[in-house]
Amino acid sequence: MRNKHYKITLIIFVFLLEVSCEKEIPTKLNYENYAYSGTDVNGGNWEPILIDSGTDIEVSVPESVTSETYKSEISALKASISNLSSDQKKAIDYWTNNPVVRWNEIALELIAKYNLIPGPNDDDTYTLPNPNNPEGPPGFPFAHPPYACRALAYLSVAQYDGLVSAWHYKYEYNRSAPYQQDASITYAYEPNDIPSYPSDGAVLARVSKNVLSAMFPLENEYLQKLEDEHLESLMLSGGNVSSDVIAGTNIGDRISEIALERAANDGMKKAQTPKAVSDSIKAAAFERFGWQWDNLEVPVRPVGLTPLFGKVKMWSIDNVEDVRPIPPPQLDSEAYLNDVAILKEYADNMTEERRSIANFWQDGLGTYTPPGHWNRFANQFIVENKMNPLRSARTMAYMNMAIMDAGISCWDAKYYYHYPRPIQKIPGFKTIAGTPNFPSYTSGHSVFSAAAAEVLAYIFPEKASLVRGWAEEAAISRVYGGIHWTFDAEIGTDQGRKVAQYTIDVAKLDGAD
Amino acid sequence: MKEYLKKNNDIGSNYSIHKKKNTFLSHITIFIILFTAYNLQGQTPNDALMMPSKNICVLLSYDHGQFDRYWEKDYLRRNETIATVNRETILPMAAIGIFDNLNLYLGLPYVKTESSEPNGGKFIGAKGFQDFGISLKYKAFEKTIGIGQLSLFSTIGYTTPATNYLSDYMPYSLGFGAPEFSLRGIAQYKFKNGFYVRGMLAHLWRGYTEAERDYYYNNGSYYSAIMDVPNAWNFEGILGIWLLNNSMKLELNYTGLKSTSGDDIRPYNAAQPTNKVKFDRIGASIQYYIPAIKGLGVVGYHNRVVNGLNTAKFSNTGIGLTFQFNFIKDKNQEQDAQ
Repeated sequence: MRNKHYKITLIIFVFLLEVSCEKEIPTKLNYENYAYSGTDVNGGNWEPILIDSGTDIEVSVPESVTSETYKSEISALKASISNLSSDQKKAIDYWTNNPVVRWNEIALELIAKYNLIPGPNDDDTYTLPNPNNPEGPPGFPFAHPPYACRALAYLSVAQYDGLVSAWHYKYEYNRSAPYQQDASITYAYEPNDIPSYPSDGAVLARVSKNVLSAMFPLENEYLQKLEDEHLESLMLSGGNVSSDVIAGTNIGDRISEIALERAANDGMKKAQTPKAVSDSIKAAAFERFGWQWDNLEVPVRPVGLTPLFGKVKMWSIDNVEDVRPIPPPQLDSEAYLNDVAILKEYADNMTEERRSIANFWQDGLGTYTPPGHWNRFANQFIVENKMNPLRSARTMAYMNMAIMDAGISCWDAKYYYHYPRPIQKIPGFKTIAGTPNFPSYTSGHSVFSAAAAEVLAYIFPEKASLVRGWAEEAAISRVYGGIHWTFDAEIGTDQGRKVAQYTIDVAKLDGAD
Repeated sequence: MKEYLKKNNDIGSNYSIHKKKNTFLSHITIFIILFTAYNLQGQTPNDALMMPSKNICVLLSYDHGQFDRYWEKDYLRRNETIATVNRETILPMAAIGIFDNLNLYLGLPYVKTESSEPNGGKFIGAKGFQDFGISLKYKAFEKTIGIGQLSLFSTIGYTTPATNYLSDYMPYSLGFGAPEFSLRGIAQYKFKNGFYVRGMLAHLWRGYTEAERDYYYNNGSYYSAIMDVPNAWNFEGILGIWLLNNSMKLELNYTGLKSTSGDDIRPYNAAQPTNKVKFDRIGASIQYYIPAIKGLGVVGYHNRVVNGLNTAKFSNTGIGLTFQFNFIKDKNQEQDAQ
């Protein structure tokens, strides 16, 4: 009897040991530092976005490698490298030699953390997140897709411009990395011959911390900790001395200031309108077309999401009306009635395939949003193609500019046409996805995704058919979810492609191709 | 779904989801086979031969539960997006007496969920078979001590989703969508006058569930469709009495559940299978064996969650019929021990 119990206990113990050991789920893109596929020696001459050229930001001449100052920097570096703690080693591994990806992931995580829609108060009113009182409740920001695409665009554009500037001075001053000056220093990453002054990693750390702190003010402390860790690991990797890092952070401060100044005046502040403005926008649409979108939540949200996001300053298009899509079908037209039938058919015969497509692309509340999903894909492609940080930042900058322009154009259409959602028009209609708080036409997922896919197809031609297929699937996923009409998706996809072309035309002339 | 997971592999992720899940399942399967085989060896062939004719009991129950508020962390939220969520369950179950001191239980609930009208979310509910469950209960000890009888039991159980229902669709999802292995210890003291008290302590090892999205936030980013459903402790305290010549049983019960890890539901956001769940529930039940029809019994119960974290303030009521082949008195004792 006793023996029997021992055996049972043993079996259970072995079993539990195995279960507990298996719980490990990735929290970031798993990649290690790699040899860059190219160094882009002329990257400093590429045309940046916010400034006219890489020389716009001044960087002083570094101390020569034979100077006493530099020599003491090297000895200080060697002393700290000889004493690495396990946390410091972990940090070096974490940041890798392409921290563009890491800072992007940090942005995605903050978006997911803040992508929470404020709930109603006890008296059925709603309080909007307020940047002047970020603690709330509700906390600021509500990182919805327009907010997210804008945060990512400013982050990526500032990173890119900062790196263009850094690249310019790297090759102008040509001070090679500490591990190349002193053979006793081993570089923690794959060696390359990119000069180390000013530090590109430091540009990224400072720009990212500054831009993300402005976008997510409650995360200031967290971001500062990440910046400190990153800056330290740049030196401990053997890649930079402290003067490299300081020069990089100086560029980072200057370029993030320029970026945030643009952000402060791009029209976003006015995007979330008061109810009177929102009502007049709705009334104008009803006057024009004879329909209007209504929020069906209980209690009703008085204002849709950012009605004037369509008026925010675009990156590559002068006038948003140039890319405004054709009007959606009249509510008594054959095209419309066909769509009602299609939506009912999908809802009544939900298949596992359609359900999983709807959920895979949903990227709803509490997630990194569709712009974030495409950033994730871009991160994977960047690593797969072994891009250096400059080329990575360029990829992210153009993609996120196109995504933000796509969002602005989509929001222009949404509130200009103010078209109703399926749940508003089809009696008793139920969905598997949550119906968002803004008009239907065109679908944000479709426009964001098509724009992102076009830029990725331009930068990674071998992925063109893959990403275009994904964008189409992301578009139709909203129809499967029951929250969009097919024309929202199809015309939205065309719209996204058209919008992205403006940014691609700019990119093609920046000198990188 | 597989197509999407594969898609991820195409773009550089080498994380294999299915591998883990299968490993988990295969270990459970091996474990159950080992356990079962082991016990069979320890018994006499004669007992085994008696099993089919003596100790089979089938149960069919209908349960209706609902909630109109839930704890978002510890804040009791009313949310008109989902209004009142109704949940109906039909549970067919069989209890098979393999030996006098070893019972096997099999069950497969059918669940249907939906929101009351009107609601602000217009979400469709869900329905389908939930989790297939199998468990073995072993009576380890029984002895008259003092003025009553002390019995000790141990149960091992395993449940696993019977269909491809989506667990990441709360609050409508049919279940948490992961395999669960449970180990329970049960102690009962029954007085000669029919009163009894019972305590149960269980640990629930819950595996992974698979969402249809491959990113979620759980106090940080998770780049995977796999969600870790937290393990949990489960407690029960019962006060009961046998009446009417052992044909009727009344019970008052307390049930507690406490996840050992997990995240909180975020403000006005949907729950997800990774949440840290905790609740205190009280309930009452009645079971009556109809003397006129040999083997037939009826059960009825009502439970309500009175306190919780990241869970619904759920109350449910159920009725059921039990039918058992042969030896009603023996069976009573077996059921009593559950």
